[in-house]
Amino acid sequence: MSTQATTVHQTKWWSGGKSPFNMEYGKLMMWYFLMSDAFTFGAFLISYGSIRFSQNFWPDPNVVFNAFPGAGHANLPLAFVSVMTFILIISSVTMVLAVHAGHKGDKQGVIKWMIWTIIGGLAFLGCQAWEWHHLITGEHAVLVDGKIEMIGQNMRGNPWGAVVNGPEVTAALTNTSHETLMSLMHSANASVSHEKIAAMSDAELRAALSTAELHVREKGPVAFGGYFYGITGFHGFHVFSGVIINIVMLIMTQKNVFQNKGHYLMIEKAGLYWHFVDLVWVFVFLCFYLI
Amino acid sequence: MDLWIVSMALFVVSSLLGGLNYISTILNLRTKGMSMTRLPLTIWAMFFTAVLGVLSFPVLLSGLILLLFDRNLGTSFYLSDIVVNGEILPNEGGSAILFQHLFWFLGHPEVYIILLPAMGMVSEILSVNSRKPIFGYMAMLGSLFAITILAFLVWAHHMFVTGLNPFLGSIFVLLTLLIAVPSAIKVFNWLTTLWRGNIRFTPATLFAIGFVSLFISGGLTGIFLGNSTIDIHLHDTMFVVAHFHIVMGVASFFGMFAGVYHWFPKMFGRYLNSTLGYIHFWVTMIGSYLIFWPMHYQGLAGIPRRYLDKRGWVSFNDFPELDKMITIVSIIVFAMQLMFVFNFIYSIFKGRKVTSTNPWGANTLEWTTPIRPGHGNWPGEIPEVHRWPYDYSKDGREFIPQTEPIGENESKH
Amino acid sequence: MEHPAFEEVSFHHHTDDAEFKRRVKKTTILLSVITIIELAIGLFIYTLHKSDVNRDFLILGFKGLVCILTLAKAYYIVSVFMHLGDEIRNMIMTIVVPLMLFIWFIFAFIYEGNSYKNLRNTYDLHFKETTMPKKHGNAETHEVKPAEKSGKE
Ligand SMILES: [Cu+2]
Repeated sequence: MSTQATTVHQTKWWSGGKSPFNMEYGKLMMWYFLMSDAFTFGAFLISYGSIRFSQNFWPDPNVVFNAFPGAGHANLPLAFVSVMTFILIISSVTMVLAVHAGHKGDKQGVIKWMIWTIIGGLAFLGCQAWEWHHLITGEHAVLVDGKIEMIGQNMRGNPWGAVVNGPEVTAALTNTSHETLMSLMHSANASVSHEKIAAMSDAELRAALSTAELHVREKGPVAFGGYFYGITGFHGFHVFSGVIINIVMLIMTQKNVFQNKGHYLMIEKAGLYWHFVDLVWVFVFLCFYLI
Repeated sequence: MDLWIVSMALFVVSSLLGGLNYISTILNLRTKGMSMTRLPLTIWAMFFTAVLGVLSFPVLLSGLILLLFDRNLGTSFYLSDIVVNGEILPNEGGSAILFQHLFWFLGHPEVYIILLPAMGMVSEILSVNSRKPIFGYMAMLGSLFAITILAFLVWAHHMFVTGLNPFLGSIFVLLTLLIAVPSAIKVFNWLTTLWRGNIRFTPATLFAIGFVSLFISGGLTGIFLGNSTIDIHLHDTMFVVAHFHIVMGVASFFGMFAGVYHWFPKMFGRYLNSTLGYIHFWVTMIGSYLIFWPMHYQGLAGIPRRYLDKRGWVSFNDFPELDKMITIVSIIVFAMQLMFVFNFIYSIFKGRKVTSTNPWGANTLEWTTPIRPGHGNWPGEIPEVHRWPYDYSKDGREFIPQTEPIGENESKH
Repeated sequence: MEHPAFEEVSFHHHTDDAEFKRRVKKTTILLSVITIIELAIGLFIYTLHKSDVNRDFLILGFKGLVCILTLAKAYYIVSVFMHLGDEIRNMIMTIVVPLMLFIWFIFAFIYEGNSYKNLRNTYDLHFKETTMPKKHGNAETHEVKPAEKSGKE
């Protein structure tokens, strides 16, 4: 290491001896790492696009993502995901504030904003867990081989195909098993009690079910689930690691590590990573929920 | 297979971290006076190699993650209508071509990741040993840059016969053939660097010249293969094998050998044995051409690659004697490499000792360090750079190291 | 911080506190507004999908608009939150120029996906029959007899 500190401004940025970008080494590396990560996510999303364009049918996101915690079966398209998006945007803002507090060497400020950022990250992860859980366990009436089955959204099956129309549903109902009829009845008329449904015969059930209200669909493209879980999972993994990094940064701040070093550049690097996670979400949001 | 995928993922991560290090070091931590246009071409080549790696490996990583899902979690990214042992797999809706796209998005830049460092080293070695400045330094940089950019745009030329859309294929043909331009510039510059130079035929020089020769022969057949129509005939034949082994395999190995012979004194303070080096060069050079040249004819005759035994097909079995010859030569050439390994290990301990810090009379900084550099390479202050690294045979002086300040009445290069 | 903590960094960007707060506030509001517009468009597309009239072209236009809005969002996050806008021009270039590769990357992959669909629809009738949505809307399907539905367009 050179002992001779270059304090004088030089006009030639590129002639060596100091950073042409006026940027610390580690921060530059973080930027290029994020470039590389952008290509990983880009490749995921682009392959998703490629597969989507190779299908004749693709589910409408407004139909798939219409649930909200505590709202039961109410049809609230995009509501929950907008909450998730705002959580991430707000946590990004708190991160900016943490970085700014770091610039000023304000330890208490850094701690305060880092805690908010971490809370935002955890909240996002919680939302994502709920959404996954809802999609996997949710049961939807799907026409399979001439009969109706109740399936959830997973890696192998997709219940969000094209809508099946009345006469076909009626035909399919005659082949449908008793259990499925019962759960169909239950989801169509939540007011009817379980005992009452259990007492009904197949014929009664079929008669009671109105074909127009059943929303029976065909099986949709399988790749939908794979990409959705794959990409949001990979993004969630990034959020998770971002939260871990932020927690480590928080502890280090608490222990005066940065105070003693004289700068909070590590917070800045963690901040870059966190904003990147937000940035990726913007595109995930676009690709899966909006178009 | 899953373990292979995981190990590839680890490899991607490691190459990513290495690449980041190269990029930020070269951009951000140059010594005083070392402007970008004073960097040796070796470093420039390493820089572009790192850029290629950092931007293309992650795409492979994504592809591999999707593959891992397909294999273990029942997703259908790549699979559709697959029948295994008479049983139809439940997967549907995927596209196998997608995997090829993701794979070759890395796959093509990868050949340049292998080749660019060799190009950089060859440029340096040719200039040092012909005692002449490199011809067209800026053109060299420009062509490196062009190759890097184009390397990202041409991946599907490996996929002409997979069912790729023919229109898309034709764009890829165009972009692929464009690579010939920067490649030709580089070849031209190497040849003009050698032209009328005071060439010292060290083993390193020979290997560098061998690299240029192989790069020309292998590159020309690349133009054949870059055409989608010709590819219908030539794909998966021995022609392809010959092409990429010459240009990517043997040529980059030659670059590597040149580098090893050239920088061995720096690495271990001793020389590699030159006599063994000359034998190594000539046998490998002639041997490589004997192995791969005939394969072009085999490929043109339609002989496919990857066949263990061709005797069952009359049409594939036209050249049994040629196959035999290729096998014998490749055994000999392989033995030569063992001899090189022996030379390498032997010379580390018993080689002729280097007596001066700068045995080749080279300008670059590594030759200003002590014969056995310690931690931090230079004792004390790191050197300051005052000129580009190719001031050879200038103003009556054989070489002027980069650390020497520019004289008062020195002519411009 | 008057003197830089690193040798390679020779000056620091000074931002005045109030100015900074104002900028962050402005960007936050901007991002929120864009997100709300996007959501509105998303819901509008939903209603378009539900209606019986074929508005594919309009839907495509709105989807394009959403993409552009997303790019705007990305721009604000990167340039303000990540402070890329405050860096030296060359630094910005090293980030932006490689991103240009995505243009061809996206075009080629999507073109390829589309071409794969056409190939399969031409040569794989099973694929076509099982995945092609029956001609659009619920309105007309009631008239179609079950026998006519499969196979033909
Ligand atoms: Cu290639």
